[in-house]
Formats: sequence, structure tokens, C-alpha cells
Amino acid sequence: MNHYGYRDLRPGMKVSFDAVLDEEKLDMFRKITGDINPLHNDRSYAESKGYRERVVFGMLSASLMSTLAGVYLPGEKSLIQSVESKFIKPVILNDVITVTGEITDMNDSVQRIELKVTMTNDRGEKVLKGKMQVLVNG
Amino acid sequence: MTREEVFERLTEVFRNVFDDDTIELSETTTSKDIEDWDSFEHINLIVAVEKEFSIKVPMGKVTTMKDVGEMVDIILQESGAA
Repeated sequence: MNHYGYRDLRPGMKVSFDAVLDEEKLDMFRKITGDINPLHNDRSYAESKGYRERVVFGMLSASLMSTLAGVYLPGEKSLIQSVESKFIKPVILNDVITVTGEITDMNDSVQRIELKVTMTNDRGEKVLKGKMQVLVNG
Repeated sequence: MTREEVFERLTEVFRNVFDDDTIELSETTTSKDIEDWDSFEHINLIVAVEKEFSIKVPMGKVTTMKDVGEMVDIILQESGAA
């Protein structure tokens, strides 16, 4: 985990990490949220809709933004204030997702950073883009 | 910039941040008078005030200002109009 304080941060700072959204995570997400939509839970149904495997819940992919701020940028001192996300392409079960966050703006008075977020799959396709406002507590 | 002009522009800022066109500000308006003015929206309010008046609110004053009158004082001071 990173421990950046507000003064350690600069516009343009960027971090990336990889995550695999596998069957266990899909099943846990279904249990937590109660979203039993078959596109995410039934392989044959997903295949009938033209996908080679179950489609990952968009909100599960988006949840990696929590990790981005809470673990990487800024890490320990983060307090997420807002999140926007656009789901550009479906994420398929077992895709390796590269999450990248870059500081695009900083407000010194309230110690808040803005992050531009992009997620790409292991085929180099952009699957999600988003923005976050994160307070840096320290 | 006069105090009245600040009030006029600040009222618009409040109306936009809180999405409420009925907001009327006075010197003694506090967070108790505006239902959605919580710590979360206070941060958005400060950022919006800084943009509107092209100022920086000193960090120490972000959480200590007690009412709108004090916010107007800070705007006038930081914009060099006081």
C-alpha cells in the first residue's frame, strides 16, 4: 500500500496495477449484491448473447477504482468523494484488467485530487474510463 | 467588488452547488439553514467559490468559517477587494 500525503502528489503522477476478474470474484459479487442476471451468472446464456464467457458485472470492474485510490494513489490517506464511470466494452470472465490512474487536478484548499481512470483488457482494448475525486487526509 | 456583488455571485454559486434556486443568503446563514450543506457539499462549495472568484481559500479557514458573512469576508480578502 502507498502512503502518499497531499504534498507528495503532483498533477501528472500516474500508477497502474493489474487485476484478474475470475469466477470466484463474480460469485462473491453476486452474493453481495443479489444481482442474479444470467449474463453474469450463466455461461450458456452469455454464449447465446454472443459472448465467449460470462460477462463481468460492470460495477465489479468499477470497484477496482476503490483499490486504485485506497491502495495506490494516494493509498492509505484516501477518502473517495465521487466516482464517474463509463463502460466502454464488456469485461469477460478471467480477463486481465490493467487499471491506470493519473492525477489531472489538485485543489490545495480542500486537499482533493482528481484522477483520470482508464481500464484496458489483455487484448489492449479500453473497457472503462472514469473520473474520481479523492480527498487526501494528511 | 462590493460586498453586495459578492453576495449576488455567491448566491448563484450556492444555488448551483445545492441545485436549489430558492436559496437566499444573509450574513448569518449557516449550514443549519441549508439542508444539504454537509461536510461533503462544503468541499464542493469551497471548490466552486474558488473557481467563481478566482481565489484560494486558506486551508486553515476551510473548516472554521462559521457563516456566510465570514465566507464573504474571506472572498473579499483573498480577492484583494477588502
